[in-house]
Formats: sequence, C-alpha cells, structure tokens
Amino acid sequence: MKRVILSIAFVVAFLILITPITAIDMESSRFKIESANTSSAAGNKASTNYKLSDTIGQVAAGEFSSTGYVVKAGFQYINSVIPFRFTISNTNISLGNLVPNTPSTATTTLTIYFGSAGQYQVTAIEQGPLKTLSGNSIPDTACDGGANTCSESSAKTWSSSSAYGFGYNMSGNDIPVDFSNSTYYRPFPDTTAAESPAIVMSSNNVGSNRQSTMTFKSNISPIQPAGNYQTIINFVATPSF
Amino acid sequence: MKYLMSNAKNKVVVHLLLLCFLCLMFHRPVSAQQISLSITPPILELVIKPGKSVMIAYQVSNQGDPVILTAKLVSFEPRDNFGKIRLKDGIEGPIRFELDNSDIQLERPFFLKTGASQQLLLRIRAPEGAANGDYYYTLLAETTPVDNIDGTAGPKTKASIGSNILVTVTDSGVIDIRPKVVLFEVINKLKMFNQKIKIFDSFDKIPLVLIVENKGKNLIKPEGKISLIGNFGERIDYPIIPKNILSESQRLVEASSSANPLEQRETSYSTVFSGFFIGQYRVTTEINFGESSPTLFAKTSFFAFPFKLAAVLFLTVGLIVFIVGRFFAPDSKEQQ
Repeated sequence: MKRVILSIAFVVAFLILITPITAIDMESSRFKIESANTSSAAGNKASTNYKLSDTIGQVAAGEFSSTGYVVKAGFQYINSVIPFRFTISNTNISLGNLVPNTPSTATTTLTIYFGSAGQYQVTAIEQGPLKTLSGNSIPDTACDGGANTCSESSAKTWSSSSAYGFGYNMSGNDIPVDFSNSTYYRPFPDTTAAESPAIVMSSNNVGSNRQSTMTFKSNISPIQPAGNYQTIINFVATPSF
Repeated sequence: MKYLMSNAKNKVVVHLLLLCFLCLMFHRPVSAQQISLSITPPILELVIKPGKSVMIAYQVSNQGDPVILTAKLVSFEPRDNFGKIRLKDGIEGPIRFELDNSDIQLERPFFLKTGASQQLLLRIRAPEGAANGDYYYTLLAETTPVDNIDGTAGPKTKASIGSNILVTVTDSGVIDIRPKVVLFEVINKLKMFNQKIKIFDSFDKIPLVLIVENKGKNLIKPEGKISLIGNFGERIDYPIIPKNILSESQRLVEASSSANPLEQRETSYSTVFSGFFIGQYRVTTEINFGESSPTLFAKTSFFAFPFKLAAVLFLTVGLIVFIVGRFFAPDSKEQQ
C-alpha cells in the first residue's frame, strides 16, 4: 500500500513540477540556428500540374507555375535558415551639449544577418543637415580641408579642432575601404540636396552577424547659435537580386 | 505620546528605506531604443501575364523595441556590376501593388511590438495592356523615428529593411534571352609596354573576371561552369552561382571553387585560382540560361613559372659560388 501511495505521489509531483518545453535557439561554437525554423521541406516536388522547388526556412520560399504566372521566392541557390535581419543598436544619437572647438562624438552599431539573402547593402542618407527649428544649421563636414577634403564618397582625415561640421566614421565588418582609421570621416549625403544614399556596409559573401560601428561627429564654431540641432539619418538595408 | 510619535517616524523611515532598496534591487535597466527587423522572403521573382494577379505572403518580424512601421514600395535599378542596387523615390512601371490585409494598408503606419511578426499579404497585379518587359521593385518596411527626449543635439535614425521583387511581364510566356560575354580574363596588375601580361608566378593567386551583359528585355540567370585546364589535360570545374542579371545591365558572374556559395570570396572577382601552377593553363567557360537558351563559350589562358623560387635559387647559387671562390679558392701567390 505504501509503495502504491508513494508511486502516486511521485507521479503527481512529476506532473506538477515538470518544466514546460519551449523552443530555443540551437547553437554551438560553430553554428547557430536562429528562430529554430527547421522545416525539412527543401527540395523539388512535381506533379502533372505544377513544379515546386523551395529552400528551407523561408515562409513563401518556392517556385510554382500555374496558368498565367510563375513565382519564385527566396534565393534558390542558398539553403539558409538565417532570415535577412537589420539591427541598429541605438536610434537616438546624442551628441550632448556641443561646445565650440570641442568635437563631440556618439556611436551606434549596425548589425546584419543575411544568410538567406546572398549579399546585401546598407545605405545611409540624412534628411537635411543638423538644424534647429529656427533654421540654424551645422554644415556637413569637409574634414580638415585642403588635401584632406572629404566628400560623400571619399573619407579623409578630420582631426583639426578648427574644422567644423557634422560627419561620420565607420569601423568593423563590410565597410567602405576609404575609412582607413578612426580619424577618417565623410559627410552624409543629403536628400534635400538631391544626393544619392551612400553605401556604408555591403558584402557579396553570405554570412551572419556582420557588425559595424558608425561614429557620428560634430564640431561647432564659436559663432554657432545655441539650439537643439537635429536631423534624421535614414538607413536602408536591402539584399541583392 | 512622544514614544508614539517617534514610533510612527521610525515606521515611515523604515518604509522609505525598504522602498528605495526594492527600487534599486528590482529596477529594469534603461537601454537605448533599438531597432531589429527581419523580412522573408528576401527576394521574389515573378513571371506574369497582363491581366493576372498574385498574392504573396511576407513576414516582417520585430526583435527590437516596439516600433511603428510603414510598408511601401519603390522601384530600383542596378547600381553597378556587383549586384548593388539604387532605390528610386517612387514606383515606376505598370505593376500595381496593394495589401490584402484587412487592417493594414501600404503607406499607412502600423504598430509592431517586441517579438511580434506581421504577415503582409502583398497582391501584385499586372494590368491588362501592361507592356512586356521587366519591372524591379523593393518592398520596404520603414520605421518612424522617435524624438530625442533629452533635448540634446544629435540625429535620430530611421531604419528600413527591404525585399526585392523582380517582375517579368510577358503575354506569350517567351523570355527575351540575349546574353553576351563582355569580359573574361585573368587579372594581373603587372603591365609591360602598357599591355596587361598574363604571366604569373607559380605561387600567385590568379584572379579571374567574367562579366556578362544582358542585352535582352528580361532578367536572365546564368548556369554553367568555369574550367581550369592544365598542361596535361588536368581539369578543375568551378560551378557558376546562378545570380540574376537584370535586363539591359551587366553583372560579374561568380563561380565557386567548391560549389558552396557560403564560402568567402574575393568580392571583385568571379573566382580566384590558387595552388602551384607551372606552364600554360587554359581557362574556359560555358554558360547557359535555362532550357532552350543559347550557350555562351569563352576562353583565355595564362602562363605560370616559379620566378621567385628561381630568383632565390639563382641568388643562392651565385652567393655560394662567390663565397667558395673568395674564401676557399687556392691562393695564387702561394702556388707560385
């Protein structure tokens, strides 16, 4: 009798205390499966009416034909479960209280996962220069000037405390080669000047967790009016075709 | 009475201290606003007859802080030969887009909380009378920037994540395939008399560039291989990665040494040959673009010789001869 009671108590305790089973990310030192979407449906299927081929882990991945249209979703030559993902670590970049002739910097981290996307690019463009509501603006940087005059497509040294403006530096993965070190800056292209967005990250190689740091820098002159200077930087991450 | 007052004061102090302790122990750390968006599928290729429509389910997920998103479409064009794109400001061409979602519309903001996903049911329609040809678009999920709350100077960021849509409109189902190899050669930085020379050191890595131009009105997808053929007929095949070449554009065609597109490659070359080479090598390519398509052929060659090794050997032998001649040769005076 004692054994029966003990057995029942054991079963009840097991049922009550059992921990729920939840989905987890699967990873080791060599791989990580994000979202654990492990549908094993990849491959080619066909009947008399249709032909379907799909790649694993994509919601609408596949190719099918019927009367009037053919659809292919996803890159057919890549079998990856890593979705195309774009992360910005900090959306509000605070340069603090700007002091004349004292450069102020702030950073944000851009991260791209693009296993299923083949290759990618991230572009950046500003919606006008940093300016106040009353219309005072901090011009885009030209870096140190002279031989070190930078442009939207060419980074140059910006280390002089008497060189004023607003610009950015890049470091990390898949960045433009002209950002030789942390003193190299470019101005942002400007939508109000009808300029094209600058590519700040890109890669032809399939990968994940590609990370770069964008450093924003501003240096103002002693005659810069006081105010709350703001603008919007528009980042666009797209896969290739 | 005094004792009662003092007791009440103590209680208040103890409660305040307890409250402070709890606040300090169990407060949630404040972190910067983070955006983290994903979209699937990353690309869509559609061949469609005028007058037809198709509905595609996209999944937009938010792994960052809660965001307000707007779904919109813009046209794009190729930016260079390497697969980069340039987005345009609006939609061009005859293709019509709308969302079949009951609660979300294009160009209208919607809220997505942390960890949530939103399915976007995109209906793509080629109207009757739409001209045959290709039309390229990007579906963007765009965040709405939030104002700086601390009043300090600095930019706000807006993030968009995109998925490309390649639409081919054809009323007959016939695809216009007109490819041309515009460049197929090994790249050597050395020049002689202002001419590129195709001579390499045996230990050099040898980059190859294959650029195909699509002169047709529809996108094409190259398939085939690049072959490296040695002096004695030994051969290595490098399968071509079938990346789209958009209409009336050129693209660097990439090949993988292991048929594994996940490997790291030089970004400006089709492939890079590495190993020990000696003698003359032929490089050929055969490219087709699907069933009943023309096959393109191209060939080039290069010569490899161990120049560096030969130079080292020559110098070493010269040095040995010099040392032996200088220090170990019989003294002529002594012989006399």
